[in-house]
Amino acid sequence: MISDITLGQFFPGNSVLHRLDPRTKIILTVAFIVSVFFANNPVAFAFLTLAVCFMTALSRISLKVVLKGIKPIILIILFTAIINVFMTTGEGEPLIEFWIIKIYTRGIVRAVFMAVRVILLIMGSSVLLTYTTSPIALTDGLESLLSPLKVIKLPVHTFAMMMSIALRFIPTLVEETEKIMNAQKSRGADFSNGSLVERAKALIPLLIPLFVSSFKRAEELATAMECRCYRGDKNRVKLNKLEYHGIDLAWFLIFALFVALLVCLSVLPYSFGVDNELYNILFYKI
Amino acid sequence: MSNILELKDVSFVYSEGTPFRKVALNKVNISFERGKITGLIGHTGSGKSTLVNLLNGLYKPTSGQVLLDGVDIWDEPKKIRDVRYRVGLVMQYPEYQLFDETVRADIGFALRNKGMSEGEISERVIEAARFTGIGDDLLDKSPFDLSGGQKRRVAIAGIIAMRPDVLVLDEPAAGLDPRGRREILGSLHSYAEMTGGSVILVSHSMEDMAHYCDNVVVMNKAEVYKSGTVREIFSEAEELSSVGLDIPMTSKVAKRLLDLGIKLEGDLYTVEGMRDAILRYTGEVEK
Amino acid sequence: MSEVIIKTENLGYTYVDSLDDDIVKVDQSPALRGVSLEIKRGEYVAVLGHNGSGKSTFAKLINMILTPTVGKIYIDGVDITGDDFTEEDVFDIRRKVGMVFQNPDNQLVATVVEEDVAFGPENLGLPREEIRQRVDSALSTVGMTEYIKHAPHKLSGGQKQRVAIAGIIAMKPEIIIFDESTAMLDPQGRAEVVEIMERLNKEEGITVLNITHYMDEAARADRVVVINDGELIIDSTAREVFKNVELLHSVGLEATQGAELIAALSGCGADISGESLTLDETVETIANYILRKK
Repeated sequence: MISDITLGQFFPGNSVLHRLDPRTKIILTVAFIVSVFFANNPVAFAFLTLAVCFMTALSRISLKVVLKGIKPIILIILFTAIINVFMTTGEGEPLIEFWIIKIYTRGIVRAVFMAVRVILLIMGSSVLLTYTTSPIALTDGLESLLSPLKVIKLPVHTFAMMMSIALRFIPTLVEETEKIMNAQKSRGADFSNGSLVERAKALIPLLIPLFVSSFKRAEELATAMECRCYRGDKNRVKLNKLEYHGIDLAWFLIFALFVALLVCLSVLPYSFGVDNELYNILFYKI
Repeated sequence: MSNILELKDVSFVYSEGTPFRKVALNKVNISFERGKITGLIGHTGSGKSTLVNLLNGLYKPTSGQVLLDGVDIWDEPKKIRDVRYRVGLVMQYPEYQLFDETVRADIGFALRNKGMSEGEISERVIEAARFTGIGDDLLDKSPFDLSGGQKRRVAIAGIIAMRPDVLVLDEPAAGLDPRGRREILGSLHSYAEMTGGSVILVSHSMEDMAHYCDNVVVMNKAEVYKSGTVREIFSEAEELSSVGLDIPMTSKVAKRLLDLGIKLEGDLYTVEGMRDAILRYTGEVEK
Repeated sequence: MSEVIIKTENLGYTYVDSLDDDIVKVDQSPALRGVSLEIKRGEYVAVLGHNGSGKSTFAKLINMILTPTVGKIYIDGVDITGDDFTEEDVFDIRRKVGMVFQNPDNQLVATVVEEDVAFGPENLGLPREEIRQRVDSALSTVGMTEYIKHAPHKLSGGQKQRVAIAGIIAMKPEIIIFDESTAMLDPQGRAEVVEIMERLNKEEGITVLNITHYMDEAARADRVVVINDGELIIDSTAREVFKNVELLHSVGLEATQGAELIAALSGCGADISGESLTLDETVETIANYILRKK
């Protein structure tokens, strides 16, 4: 069923990660994403994987749920992997060679690590941010971090509000899509057979009602918000004020250590000039 | 054979093999008679919504059979679309499914999917529109320009145009005013009579059930709690309270009168039945 | 504090079609016309009318979502249709007049229950401790305290609607308008919402306007107002309104089942009379009739 999609979904809880300030988590997530791209050898990747597993454990969200979040992007991962396999040129003899295609060991290794990198990226940022941060907290965090931009007249609050509402309505719209799909199937619509053009056409009876009802929802929601005295960020006070605590500081420190270690693992091994087989495998530069 | 649609030992389980596993239906056996209106009642979560989706093959039973005219609808999964034309399903708030440029086109959507000829489609569309009380002047309007009640009728016409052998309606009168309710529910009987088909009505309103249905199936906790004719079900109305359902107001009155030693006889679950019973009791009307 | 909390004078509203070929078309007849009405503080009023009768338009005018085409509206003695009415005053009215809508999904803004309930008070710019206290007390009033950290989309319809009500209560309104708030709920959810509605009226003294299609709900109100084709045609106690079964039928409505039964009996020539608003009354009236006849 479509409603199984969990990407970008919040799981309420009370773990350490849930309790961190959203701003901390946003900054750490950015740091995490950058550091993932630093990792360039098996040891660094092992370290990274350990760190992600550690965070997942801390978030108290079941591994199954976290892994399910990867499902929707599996095609993208495969695609990147395949590109890597075919496009990487390596030194020495290719592993397989036919017609214009040459596959090198390096390409395969690269493909594997690229896939691992994307998976770790998704897992890490999910448990660090999206799964453990309520969309409103996330938006509050972003709004607070971006608030300096208000000086140059950027509508930061409006943007943040739009984002949080979009997030609030994702499950509702997913449910609605399923309902309309079933209604049209009951009238003999066929969403799964036929040529590409036919299938695209078959989507019209699904998309139009979805648009119409979304507009109606938007209108009703706007009215309801106005009735609750909403007028942008004028005068607005937040129930949950963002405050950094000791735990945030601790996490900044731990994370700094993590990034430093990762950078060390990714840079230092090549400056020693060691040439031993195991060492070469462990620190094989991808 | 008088049963057009039959459920045999049907079970349905959501998220099988996960911690969220939930049995929505457990070995359910129901038969729906030709030419009859069958009411389906049960509180939210009793499994009746799942049941509705099984009837026209939107869901596939985890085990058991759904028999249409004695044939398992899942014998040939590729032909499931044909089943959906024969078991027409009007979903809750069906006006949300309207999409086409004109009312005419929208009512004809299923027929075009079925591959019928233009001539035949236009004939059926007009017939279905008239049946649901949509004036000819509305046929070339955009469905989005209609009122809520009119949209509802157009959506229902879109199913009726398929001339299904079984017409299933999930809360077709939800949110309508009393007149709109009466008009839509009142037309169901003529559908069953006219086509000889079977109508299945899902509703929370006991008054509607008592008034419009011939048979009633009561669902509770994923199972059929009780089924029978309206008279059989509502004559023991207190039993319904025990599964969290309300009972028709007139049944409550009859029960209270019984406590006072006044024993009325007849169809005490509708206003008309109760009226007649009282008049018979006082001797103002002959038995 | 004035006794009359809502007062309308010759209120009228005409919907104007959106810009069509750059010509503003005045759309058919007015949705509401000549409605003059006074509602007292603490009253429990049901508003009936068939679909499209103009009853929702009425609610939207009281709440300043729409501006009247003609006529006057006074809320708590303040003329909200006056020229000197500022934007600041609009918010004051909206705080005083809370509104609960039909579709529970389309009025919940936040992804966590407590944040949704806090939305109104946050907009009012109240001190943080006050917001927290109001959220907690509003949730306890509607019996949803245990769901404080839940995601609204996982709740049942009735529960969602209770959260929506909490969001309104947290603004401490003096009037709450329920605009067909029970229409999309199952019987259990409906009963929960009606129970809260009545508790707010009786215990907190909040003026309640319940716009509904359900006659059994209307029968519980102190006063019933019927709007038909934009005009106010009945304004009386529930008891009086449901005695006039024929009039209700003529405007596409019906009476309570009890009143319908009594009317059906007298329609057959029975000289039955008596009250029929509640189950007890109906039983009594019929029992008396039967005993008299026997």
